Amino acid sequence: MRDFLISIKRAPFQSAASFLVLFFSLFLTFFLLFSLAFFEGLLTYLETRPQIIAYFQPKTDENEIFKIRNDLSQSGKVLSIKYVSQKEAFEIYKKMNKDNPLLLEMVSEEILPPSLEIYAKKPMFLPEIAEYLKKHTSIDEVQFQKDILERLLTLTSILRKVSFSFFGYLFLMTMTVLMAVTHFKVALKKEEIELLSLLGASSFYIRKPFLKESLLMAFFASVFSFSLALLILFYFHPFLNSYLQGISGLTVNVLNFSFNVWPINWVFLLAIFFLTSFFGIVLSLLASFLATSKYLNYN
Amino acid sequence: MIVFENVTKKFPLGNIVLENISFSVEEGEFVFLVGPSGAGKTTIIKLIQREILPTSGSIFIDEMDITDKKFSNVLTLRRNLGVIFQDFKILYDKSVFENVALSLKVLEKYSFSKIKEKVKETLAIVGLEGKEGVFPIQLSAGELQRVAIARAIIGEQKIILADEPTGNLDPKTAWEIMKIFKKIEKQKTIIFATHNTDIVNSFQRRVLVLKNGKIIKDLRQGKYEF
Repeated sequence: MRDFLISIKRAPFQSAASFLVLFFSLFLTFFLLFSLAFFEGLLTYLETRPQIIAYFQPKTDENEIFKIRNDLSQSGKVLSIKYVSQKEAFEIYKKMNKDNPLLLEMVSEEILPPSLEIYAKKPMFLPEIAEYLKKHTSIDEVQFQKDILERLLTLTSILRKVSFSFFGYLFLMTMTVLMAVTHFKVALKKEEIELLSLLGASSFYIRKPFLKESLLMAFFASVFSFSLALLILFYFHPFLNSYLQGISGLTVNVLNFSFNVWPINWVFLLAIFFLTSFFGIVLSLLASFLATSKYLNYN
Repeated sequence: MIVFENVTKKFPLGNIVLENISFSVEEGEFVFLVGPSGAGKTTIIKLIQREILPTSGSIFIDEMDITDKKFSNVLTLRRNLGVIFQDFKILYDKSVFENVALSLKVLEKYSFSKIKEKVKETLAIVGLEGKEGVFPIQLSAGELQRVAIARAIIGEQKIILADEPTGNLDPKTAWEIMKIFKKIEKQKTIIFATHNTDIVNSFQRRVLVLKNGKIIKDLRQGKYEF
């Protein structure tokens, strides 16, 4: 730590440049990761809602409904289908309106339509399934969330592409700046490096102070960027809360791990913190390693 | 043992600094390299450190061919060499203790207390007792050279390469520096490049006389003459 502070004191502008560029990159990385996870979570949430609901005429024969259900199940495009009979629909209606006796009096089991709640394997199958259902005269209405899903799919796909391109750019930009700054710092210590090399110091021994400094710089940059990101996140929390009212939770699955993205979850935030810190540390160490290589030529 | 076999060193612009020189230095021997500026003294020292490679010929140190392209033991080679430079090569942002301790620290095997103990012992040998915490800016040229000598002899160095270590010093200080070499010469092989006639003549050690990149004389218990 003492050497780290001395190094900052000796080259304050170079140290500030390293810190700021790392801080900025990690801050953006945090928000990119958070947004990506948030939209993935929203997509997953919408995919778990009934994506198509087909309402049949109240007097439709159950066998006809079951035939449609079987045809759809065998199409290979459907993940699951749930049949909601008139009786079940009435039970649901009763539960929903238990505090309103007037509404309960007005409705009987016979007037509620039986329905099929359909979950597609992929959102792209939804229009096809909807078209198939509309052909049946026994079906009164077909409801499906085509627009929302399609928009979210497009948005997530764009966000993913933008994120990857942006990550690439951030990586290159940060590497270039860090390498230039480390080069300068190494040049300031050129005599010492040459002497150490003549005394028989190993490459790692010579690199160690630069790598240590990079490690600490990346650590502090990730802590500060994470703190700022948290402040912003909590500042906008009430707004997000009202916007996502009615959504009990958003979850994202990464490599067999399931993270709760919403409501704000500390495990998920810490996972992003570790990921951004790792990104910063790798970036910083790599830049130092490459910058010092020039001066470590043993013939 | 150091052996030079038909060593030639040409620099990229074509100037020949060493031309087909051969000599050997036995373990524990004290050898003066003398000759005018540009004769090739510093080049010999740089070749032994493998700081540069010869254009042709071979150099053996303890039977290892250090000029071999596949030679991978540069660290061990350099850890066995204590080099004293004419310009001292002292790090001004480090204290005397830190400068001297560098030779031990690079070995990465001594504890801090051991390093402290050895630095103290070595500083006593070179006459700088109690100056561990002093910074180079506070030292005279003679004292700086003593720090450089301490750094060269503190580790596991078997061979000391001194490149005109008295070149920047007044005669009195130069003699004080030579007293240190007298103290250490029994334990080390010393190659000492110098212009100083008095020192060479009074020491009566082996003298290799260089001129225009060639060894023109190899005198046992010799005197400065070329």
